[in-house]
This record gives sequence, structure tokens and C-alpha cells, in this order.
Amino acid sequence: MSSTRVAVDVGGTFTDICIMDEETGAIRIEKIGSTPDDPMKAVMDGVGIAGIDLSQVTMFSHGTTVATNALITRNLPRTAMVTTEGFRDVVEIRRATKEDLWDTYKDVAKPYIPRRDRLTVRERVDADGNILESLDEEGARRVAEVLKKRGVKSIAVGFMNSYVNPENERRMRAILKEVMPDVPVSLSAEIMPEIFEHERFSTAMANAVVSPVVVDYVSRLGEKLEEGGYSRELLLLHTGGGVMTPHAVRDFAARLAGSGIAAGAIASRFIGNLCGFPNTIGFDMGGTSTDVSVSYQGEPRITKDWYIEYGYPIRFPSIEVLTIGAGGGSLAWQDEGGSLRNGPQSAGAHPGPACYKNGNEVATNTDANVVLGRLGTSLAGGKITLDPALAEAAVRRTVAEPFGMDLHDAAEAIVRVANANMANAVRLLSISRGYDPRDFALCAFGGAGALHGAAIARELSIPTVIVPPSPGVTSALGCLLVDIQHDFSDSFMRRADDTDPADIEALFQRIESEARAQLKREGVEPANMVLSRTVEMMYQGQWRSLQLDAPAKVTDVDELVDAFHREHEREYNFARKDAGVSFFRVAVKAVGIVPKADLQKHPERPHTPEPLGQRPVWFDGQAHEATLYQREGLEAGAQIEGPAIIEQFDSTTVVPPGMSATVDAFMNIRIETKV
Amino acid sequence: MNTDTKTRDPLHPVTFEVLKNSFITSVDQMAEQMLRTCYSFVIYNRDFSNALHDAQGNSVAQGNQDIAVHVGTLHFTCKDVIRVFEGEMMPGDVYAINDPYAGGTHLSDVRLVRPIFDDDTLIGFSQSNGHWSDLGGSVPGSFDVSARDMFREAVRITPVRLFRAGEFCHDVAGMIAANTRDPGSILGDIHSQASATAVSEREILRLVRKYGRDQVLQGMDEVQDYVERAVRQRIAALPDGTWQTVDYIDRDPAKGEGMIPIHIKMTIKGDEIHYDFTGSHPTIASIYNSAPGATFSAVVAGMKTFFPDLPFNSGFFRTVSISAPENSVVSAQWPVAVTGFLMPFEKIMNSIFEMWSQIMPERAIACAFNLEYLLAGGRDLRTPEKPIFMFYEWLPGGWGGRNGKDGSDVTSACFGVGLQSQPNEGNERVNPTRTTEFQILRDSAGPGKWRGGTGLQKTSLLLDSEDAVMSYICDRERAVVWGVEGGLPSMPHGLSIRRAGEAQAKWLGSVFSDYPVHTGDEFARPTAGGGGFGDPLERDPQAVCTDVIDDYVSIDRAAKDYGVVIREIDADLCEYAVDEDATAALRAHIRAKRKDWARMDPAEVAELYRKGEIDALDAVRRYAVILDWETGEALEKTTAQFRESFEKRTVAHWS
Repeated sequence: MSSTRVAVDVGGTFTDICIMDEETGAIRIEKIGSTPDDPMKAVMDGVGIAGIDLSQVTMFSHGTTVATNALITRNLPRTAMVTTEGFRDVVEIRRATKEDLWDTYKDVAKPYIPRRDRLTVRERVDADGNILESLDEEGARRVAEVLKKRGVKSIAVGFMNSYVNPENERRMRAILKEVMPDVPVSLSAEIMPEIFEHERFSTAMANAVVSPVVVDYVSRLGEKLEEGGYSRELLLLHTGGGVMTPHAVRDFAARLAGSGIAAGAIASRFIGNLCGFPNTIGFDMGGTSTDVSVSYQGEPRITKDWYIEYGYPIRFPSIEVLTIGAGGGSLAWQDEGGSLRNGPQSAGAHPGPACYKNGNEVATNTDANVVLGRLGTSLAGGKITLDPALAEAAVRRTVAEPFGMDLHDAAEAIVRVANANMANAVRLLSISRGYDPRDFALCAFGGAGALHGAAIARELSIPTVIVPPSPGVTSALGCLLVDIQHDFSDSFMRRADDTDPADIEALFQRIESEARAQLKREGVEPANMVLSRTVEMMYQGQWRSLQLDAPAKVTDVDELVDAFHREHEREYNFARKDAGVSFFRVAVKAVGIVPKADLQKHPERPHTPEPLGQRPVWFDGQAHEATLYQREGLEAGAQIEGPAIIEQFDSTTVVPPGMSATVDAFMNIRIETKV
Repeated sequence: MNTDTKTRDPLHPVTFEVLKNSFITSVDQMAEQMLRTCYSFVIYNRDFSNALHDAQGNSVAQGNQDIAVHVGTLHFTCKDVIRVFEGEMMPGDVYAINDPYAGGTHLSDVRLVRPIFDDDTLIGFSQSNGHWSDLGGSVPGSFDVSARDMFREAVRITPVRLFRAGEFCHDVAGMIAANTRDPGSILGDIHSQASATAVSEREILRLVRKYGRDQVLQGMDEVQDYVERAVRQRIAALPDGTWQTVDYIDRDPAKGEGMIPIHIKMTIKGDEIHYDFTGSHPTIASIYNSAPGATFSAVVAGMKTFFPDLPFNSGFFRTVSISAPENSVVSAQWPVAVTGFLMPFEKIMNSIFEMWSQIMPERAIACAFNLEYLLAGGRDLRTPEKPIFMFYEWLPGGWGGRNGKDGSDVTSACFGVGLQSQPNEGNERVNPTRTTEFQILRDSAGPGKWRGGTGLQKTSLLLDSEDAVMSYICDRERAVVWGVEGGLPSMPHGLSIRRAGEAQAKWLGSVFSDYPVHTGDEFARPTAGGGGFGDPLERDPQAVCTDVIDDYVSIDRAAKDYGVVIREIDADLCEYAVDEDATAALRAHIRAKRKDWARMDPAEVAELYRKGEIDALDAVRRYAVILDWETGEALEKTTAQFRESFEKRTVAHWS
């Protein structure tokens, strides 16, 4: 038996397992129901069902929702926070805003650590890093004793201005460790060394509360895998788009929060790169929501402005994903002003769309697609049958009758509203960031992505749609194709005209040596370490910085300033060349390359495949005879003219009239939208 | 309804929905652009708004995250730009206006307006409104509470051209910037806001290319009609009737004690609502006056709170009408000073909360804390260049208790819930100040069956500086945040200062400007909690105990305000217990006495206060008496006004 690589992506409903043969590059997929009470059960069961010999596995990577779920459900161990005296409530006051500005009955959730468990000590550092008051050691010891008495399982420490001088925070940890050697301590200055106390404390707090949960899960899973014969490091997917080892998880547990969402974005970037499209929009449409992500020049767009729950930022750099409430199960409805709406309410998995026969009578996108003939009535290889009569009845009742349309116009109206909403989401991530969608390919996946992908692409003038081989399990593929990655940063707040390039260079070098040490601890060979530098800059007086690449050796500040003007012009359509520029922060991305096997490549033989049949499918108010294909039977090089419907086990691809599709060497369907 | 739409077929439902959402997206994109490129930290902390208008200046779409104070004013300023430039506008033009007498809010809110042309036809406008950090005038930040008219406040910008056919009018922009303390940032914000309006223009022209000009224009009309229809349906479903209330501004500095009433009578008839401000006080001798535009905004922002899901545009506004006496605190005319318009604004909003709470008890809410802000400026001696610093900051506080749940703790003011509080580490970097305390203020919440949200206290030390002065803009030192349905008031707003080397702090109150401060002075700013909802003696004693464990409420005030007696068992382990018997006895005692306390001779209460036997919380919560909090002198007229409201909102609901 040849060696294999295994990736396991745990989702809310399914756990997907992706197994790659190292020699041939062939991939096979297994799907098993998730076990939310103990996600590890589904992982190990899946390994068993897939017949994986763990002793032959050379890489086991894993996208987990353990951290995300712990934060969402608040099923968290008792955790304490220690702050500078007078700043006990920084994480509760937040920035004082609410997510819903107008609904006075909707509140922001309380912090993960309640007020009673937020204790304070006397100490103070000023904005320049001078220690005004050393840590009150007696007070610190007293705090440690109280926390020990309370039996807390984890502790966050957040001191004012610790990002410039972490000494007092470190001393606090030493005292906590003397009293409670086994309790993990998350220092704000080490977790996220950047200015602004709430964002830093909040990140440390999130890290502290999930740390015991995640570390426990990772150790148990690591042991199980080892028992089964796996001898390498378990790799865990984090939101930054890379993986980390259990060793790093101990320090940066909260980087695993949101790991599931990142997987899809990583996969679409990978597929885009593979197909020669460095600019890709990931379009992952499922049953209740759609995740949109953007990769530009081969790299995913990263943001530090994200959270699991509003008000509690987790400032680790993360792949930017915009989630909107539009999925196959989204409900169509008429609001009181008489407008046709779509979502965000969803029929969910139960009762699901009307055609699922579970009692829902309101039309969903799925029902509309059935009425239009775009979706067949037999899914998942015949395991699920849909009732077109129920779909019709729902579309009539929900839309056709209230709006005085005929059945097919009504169904098309539902789909078009959904598509327009999703297209607007893509616009917010692309056009409003200065990217032209015409320079991108749309990678459509998730259960419903390929049904809607071509229409969205046309709406946005995107020339190419890529539908990967198994759209329903593309996220697992994302877990398989990643490198170890860490992000390090430090504040560097200085005016550009007052900056010696040697100072920036020295700071970069210090961060880089820290980064190399981290990768080394994770067993990465120096030859496989790739460090890349970025710098954040702004016009003097601006409040948000812009990130740009920095050279491997900084010798000239003016070069960076010029690059900043250019980037500002690209992103915001204006630059102020006569205005002063400041530095804000420098960052290093440290990648430990995990050698990859190539995906299996099939010889491409241009040919017109034999259709399975035809069926009427509605587009633009007309029925067209669309040719039908079974995806599993298509070979590389197949050429298909729209209108066509390509069905497969977990998805259906629509090729509208006037478009054409080909199957490429990696078995992706590529649709040319001809816009 | 717009008459045009009746003569043409309505848009296809899909086209309508797509246009409606695309209009909103275009405004959201403007917000995104502003947030990322702005210079004013006030804008950065979200004191801004954006809108798309039709060719007549009516609002078609506004941002969902916009600050409340601007929401009902952008169409007024757009129309004023049209009034001035009609017939001479061209593609690539951008105009500026900040005129509160033409429907703006105050001089600090500068709006950039761009006409959108399809070929040579004007099809609409995009507008970007941001609060600039300084617009000149007598004090840094342009908030001089002693100003009587606008000449002392800041630069008034009646509509002017900032871009002519895409060319930057550096002469006009330069003149505006030159009249401010921070010209570099002002020029930066002009570019930021002008580029934001271009974002919306680009989106609208894309829609025109795709759907055609006629459909887009029709869409602009129809989205207004659509909102109007939805609002009218909701109003029509409510019973007809009249509701009224009165709230107060603390004082008129030119007169003796006595609060300044704002009367509102609301009448619902069919599908329309009228707000009548008859009886409201004439304008006062400070900046706490509101011009008609800002008053309109307060009314619609207050209403929107009860229809949180409905989008805002001129269709909403058409369902509301207002009448007010001439040149009152809610209808000030040029040149009356209006920079502090948000004081009447918040009073109106809370009054609307109170009236609508009776119509929609399921969304009822007591009074929220008052927005406060501190402006200090001078020379920063921490570096040899001694740069000018401007410390300008507002704090969150508590919102009112609600029907079935406590108020929101430490939340931004109803002036604009999206307004972010500022990080202390940012303050300390740019200003010679050090924060010594920034935490929830124990016992700040108004007691009630459902207590108000908590306020906080921020204490700062002034570091090496010279020629520094401080201004404080707040209210409700006397018109204290009130409870409803038997709930109690929270606490008076006001700042205290402890001079370098002195042990005792001095109460400076809620409004002053140009107050000299020196290195080593320490100033403490509490913000009030929200008013209580329902009788505090009916609050679940366990809920009171939980508040004691989390230190939101002290053991002492648990007894005084709630009649709940709590014993500490082990503070290290957070163990406290309710003494049931003692609680029953104490609650009976309070119940028997409390009406007498609330009617006790104010002079006697003042005496107890001066002797230190009671504190300010006792005075307002138990005795319903308003004092000069520094001298302890009873304010008779103010107390009489306060008690009149207290009897109605609180005493009348006690069993």
C-alpha cells in the first residue's frame, strides 16, 4: 500500500475526509455525519470507514470547529483575567457599540470572562514603555492565591501599554505559574503585541478561554492517531490559511477559531492557482448561507477585523470571508412594503425546501431551481428524491400569486433576487476594494455553488467559472493543501521622513529570528522556511493603515513610501503625494513548506461527450432543451455547450444558454461565461 | 406618493429588489471608503453618514450603520445645494455645506455633495457627511459652551464648490482649512469624502448602463414609495390617539436655576404622525439649542428605534410632520448657537422612547444616560517642539431598563450607538494624559425591577503641559436620567477635578468651557447608568445578589435601593447570600416610608446632604431632590420640576 495524505474537515453537519495517494495524486472522498458532542468520534470513525492505514499516512491535517463551537456555545472552562488596576472592565466596555444599532432589545453578549473573575493588580507602563510602577508582587500573589482557590482552568493577563514593554505581564505570569504551574496563561503582549487595549485584551481573553478545550482535544486526537500508527505531527488548520502543530496550538489556541470557514477559501485559492488564475473569488454556497472570499495574485485577502461574537475581536490575521444569509434553503417572501425578498431566513436542513416533503410550504431557492428544471428530482445518487409538485405549489403560493406572475417567471424571480444579493456581497469584497471582477475567476462550490455560479459570474462580468471535482467537499481539499504558517508582528509607529531604514531592518530581523525559532520547534527544515515581510503604513493623520509587501532587506524608506502611494491609489482611487506618510506596524509571515504531492493529472482529449438525455430548463422566461450529463462519466477534455445540466453525487452544475464548458486535466469543469 | 409613478407601470419585482439593494450597497461602499481613508478621529469612530439622493434631493438610501443624529437631515442639505447651484452643476462637481440653519445638524458636520450625471442629465446626488475634528471658532474642537451665536462657534459653510468638473478648487478648500486648527486633516477629509461620493456615483452609473436611465430613476422613486407604504401600514395598525410628555435641559446659564422644558405631544391619526412641540422653552443662552433639521432627525431617529427593521429614506420622512413654536430650543434660527444640539436631540429621543413605550410595551425602555464629551487643548511638553494637543473624547454609559430585561450596560449614547469609545492607549500616545481608571461605576445603574445599564468612570491625569484649558459638554446633572413604571433615576452627570497637590476633589458639574488646567490635575468623569424600569422592591433578590457578586451593585445600595439584605460569606470564592427575613422586613419598611421620603422638604434633604448623612444617590433616588452638588444648596424650582416628573413616572406606579 502506498503512502497517503489525509485531510479531515469537520463541519456542522458532515465530517469530510479527503485521502490523497502520494504516488498517483489521486484523491478520494469520504463523508460521515459529524458528532458534535465529541467531534473526534466522527474523525476516527471516518478514518476507519475510509480504510485508512494510519501507519502509511505521511500527513494528517485537520480543520476543526472545536474552538469555534466552544466560543459560540460558551461551553468554556472557568477562566480568569488579570488586568492593571482600574482597567478591569476593558473587555466589557469594548468600543461600546452594538451590532444592531437600532434594535434596543438586542444586546451584545457579555464577555467570555465574567466580571467576578476579572481581578486587578497595581502596575503601570507608560505609552513609551517606561515602567512607572513595577508589578505589586504581593498583590499579584494574592490574586494568584484567589484564582487557585477558585480553581480556574486558564488565565489571561492584560496590562496597559504592555505592547511596548511586556515586562510586568511576564512577571505576573511567573507569579501565577509559581502558584498554579499547570494552568495556562495567555499574555496579551505575546498573543497580540499591538496598540489598543480592548483589541489586545480581547484576543488574549479568547485565547485563554479556548486554550484548555483545544489543547485537550488536540492531545486526545494526537494520542488516538498515534495509537493507530500515525507517526508524524498532527497539523491543524487555522484561520490565517495555514496549519500549525499541537505545539503552537498550546500558545495560540484561538487561531483555530473560524478554522472551518478558512478551509473553503484556501481551497478556492489553490484551485484557482492550479488552473492558472491567481485572482480567484471563492463562492461557497450551502444550505443556509454563502461564504465569499477573494484571492489576489495567488494570496488570499487577509483581515484582522473579525470575531466569532460581535464586540470581541480576535486580532489574528485571518482570511477575509464575507458570509451572507443566502443558500439553497433561503426562503422567498413578500414584505409589508410589497417587495420580493429572499432570505436570510432559511428552511434549514429540517424541514428544508418544500420539495423535501417535510412540511415546509414556503418557496426556497431549491424549490425555484426544481421548478426551472435546473435541479433534478433525484439527488445524492438517488438517496434523496424531490417532489416537483410541492416545489411548484410553494412557488405559486409564495411568489406567483401575490405578484401576479406565471409559475416560471416567479421561480426565476426568486433565483434572480438571490443571485443579485450574492453578487452584491461579491461586489463589497471586490469592487469596493479596488479589484475588477473581470480580472478574476469564480470558483463555485458548496452544495449549491455550481447551480448559481454561472449566473453570478455573468452578473459581475467574470469570464470564467471553475467548478472543482467534488464541490460538496471542497473545503476538505483545502485542508490537504496547506503549509505551516505563523504570523508575527510588532508596532512601529514612526513618521516616514524620520525613519532610518536600518531601524526597520533591525526590527524585521528580530521578528524573523523569532519566526525561525518557532518553525524550528515545529520540525521545519531551514530549507523549507519561507519568510515574507509586510509593512503597514498610512498618511499622517489617517486612522487606518494599509498593508504592503516589504523587501527582504530594507535599505530605502522612499521606496516604501512610493509603494504606499501606489497601493492607496489602487485601493481607494486617490493618493496624496504631497502629504506625510507614517509607519504603523511591521509583520512577518513565516511559512514552513509542507512538501506536496501533485494532484492527479488526466490527459485532455478534446471531445464532445455523449449526453444522457435532455430536459426542458427555463432561462430568461423561455424553456430550453438542455443536454444532461452525469459528471462522474465525464472525461478530461470534454466540451459541452450550454444550455446543459451536469449532475453529480453532491452537486449540480448549470451551464446556461450561450455559455460553454470544458473538463480540464484536473477534472474541474470550467465554464466560459462569454460576457 | 410621488405622482409620476402612477402614470407608468411599476418596475418588475426583481428589477426593483435589485435596484433597492444596489442603492444601499452603493451607500455602504461609501461608508467603507470613508472609514478607511478618513483623517478626523471623530469620523473614524463612526460619526458620519452617507446617502444617495434623487435629482430633487430626496433621500433614496442611507447607510444602515449611520449615526442616528444625521439620519433625517441629509435630504435637507442636498436640497440646499440644489437651491444654490441649480442650473450650473456639471459632472465632476463636488459641493460642501455644513449649515445647520439649512437643515444640517451643527457646524462640525460637513457634508460633501456630488451631483451624478448620466451624459448631460442630472439623475441624482451622493452625499458624504463627516464630523471634522475642528472648524475653528473660539475653542479647540469648536465646542464653546458660552457661545450665544454661530460667529463664535466655527466657520459656517453655505454651499460652496470644492471640485469643478473634477478639478480641485484649492482656493476655496484652502480658505476653509485655513480657518481651522488642523488644516492638514481637513484637506485630507475633503479628499476622503469626495472620493466616497465618487464610489456611489460609479455604482449608480453601472446600474444605469445595465438597466437604463429610466428604470434607475423609477427605482429611486419606488424605493421611497415602498418605505412609505411599509411605515404607513405599521402606523395605521396602531390605535389613533395622543400621547405627551416633557423632558428638560438642566438650565439656561443666563438665568437662575430652573430646568428648560421640551414639551412633546404626539398624535397618531390614521397612517400619519404629528409631533407638536408647543410649550417648549425659547432658545437659551448656550449652545444647547437645536435647529429644525436636527429636531426632525431626533424625531425620526427616536421612531426608528421602534421600527428597527425598516430602511430609512424620504418615504419614511413623509409620514411625519412637526410643529414647533418659533425660535424655541427645538427650532432655533440663525444665528443662534446650536453646536450642542445633541442635548435637545437626546431629550427628544428619550421622550419618544417614553411615549412609544406606552404604544408598544413589548419594546418599552426607560431613559438612557446623556452623551458627554470632554475637550482639552494646550501645549504638550513631553517633546521639545511643544506641539498643540487636542484631547476630545466621549464615554459610554447605561441605557434604560426594559420590559423584562435590564438595560444595556456601558453602551454608546442614543445620539449614535455606532459611535465607538476611544482606546486609552491611543489617548496616552497622542495627548499628555494618563488614564488612572476606566471601569464600570458601581451603583451607577438606576434601580428597578429591571435595572438600568451601568455607567462607567474614567479618571485621567494631565501630564506635562502648558496653557491647557478644558471644556465639558454634558447635561442631566439636574434633569437626572429617569426611571419609568416605578423605576428610579440613576445619578447626576458631572465632572470633578482634583488639583495637583490637593486631597479633595471639586465638583465642576456638567457644563463649562475654557477652564484652565495644569500639570498634575486629575479629573474624574462618571457617566450615568440608565433609568430603572419597574419597582425595584419587586426585583428578584437573587438578581440583586448576582449584581453584588459581580460588583455592579454594592451591598450598601442593595439594601437602600432594593431593600435586599446580602451577607458576604467568602468574597474570594464569590459567595454571598440573600438574608430572606431581613430582606422582607427591609422591603416592608421602605414600602411604608418611600412616598414620604419622595415628598420631604427639600431644605431638610439639603441639610442631610451637607452634613454628609446622605449622598447624591440618596438625594435623587430616595428624596427626589436636586441640589447644587458642590455646595449642597437645594434647587427649589428644579426640584419641583423634577418631582413632578418623578411622581408620574415613578411614585404613581408603586403598589
